[in-house]
Amino acid sequence: MRKTLTLLVATTALTAAIGLPAWSAMHTPANTGPAPFAAVFDDAAQTLPLILASDGDDDKDRHDRNSSRRGHDDDDEEEEEDDCDAEEDDDCRSGAGNPAPAGTVAPPQNGLFGNGTPPQVKVN
Amino acid sequence: MKSLLATLALTTALTLPGLAMARPVTMTTTLNSYGGDGAYLALYVTDPSGAYVGSLWMAGGKSKYYKHLSDWYRLTGGDKAQVNGITGASVGAGRSLEITLDLSDALFDAGYTLHVDAAVEDMRESPNEIAVPLTTENAGKPVRGRRYVAGFTYDM
Repeated sequence: MRKTLTLLVATTALTAAIGLPAWSAMHTPANTGPAPFAAVFDDAAQTLPLILASDGDDDKDRHDRNSSRRGHDDDDEEEEEDDCDAEEDDDCRSGAGNPAPAGTVAPPQNGLFGNGTPPQVKVN
Repeated sequence: MKSLLATLALTTALTLPGLAMARPVTMTTTLNSYGGDGAYLALYVTDPSGAYVGSLWMAGGKSKYYKHLSDWYRLTGGDKAQVNGITGASVGAGRSLEITLDLSDALFDAGYTLHVDAAVEDMRESPNEIAVPLTTENAGKPVRGRRYVAGFTYDM
């Protein structure tokens, strides 16, 4: 009997410790800040350094050809993008304003993700 | 003593399922050989009423091109925070993107739909390239896209 009781206490403590933050995180609506239990993890996530994207996969081609993704009629926007070529300002070089790549910060708390394995990606 | 035991048994029974509320889901998107540059892809979920719930993945790191993923952009207002931490490189023609995400069980068999928007430089935008209901029955069944996606599957 005592053994059963001990086992139940241990499993309750363990599942509460793991389950409550997971449950809390999954039920937080997007953009409303961390849930009470999930805040423990969220604080840690916010201290992660922001590593700015530098996906040089096809950007050079894109700039060299003075074109934007998918032709559209807004010339002002195109000129704005082309400014990056001419001025090489900090915003253009650093990739400021781009989202954080996977693995550098936690996925958004939009209720879709569990707290298990982080996103894994493979391109074949 | 007996009531304590009953309480503990109840709390254990209630909390254990919480640990199993998410599962790894692998999504594979294979592109056609459309003869263009790498495609930007946005994977996102809408609820039964068609309202945006959240994003699952963004293939393509430059936010200035996100406006060409027109449905995703319209639903999110281009909010980059929606794809923080779930963004990777664009996907080349003829290549296959395989993403494994830990997804909530509540997404399946509850009327949610997974959408894929696609855009390629100097080529036509393809909003809602894929729209597949998230059900356990649809898992493993390939779906063909409208323009750039040769096949899309999710496996659980």
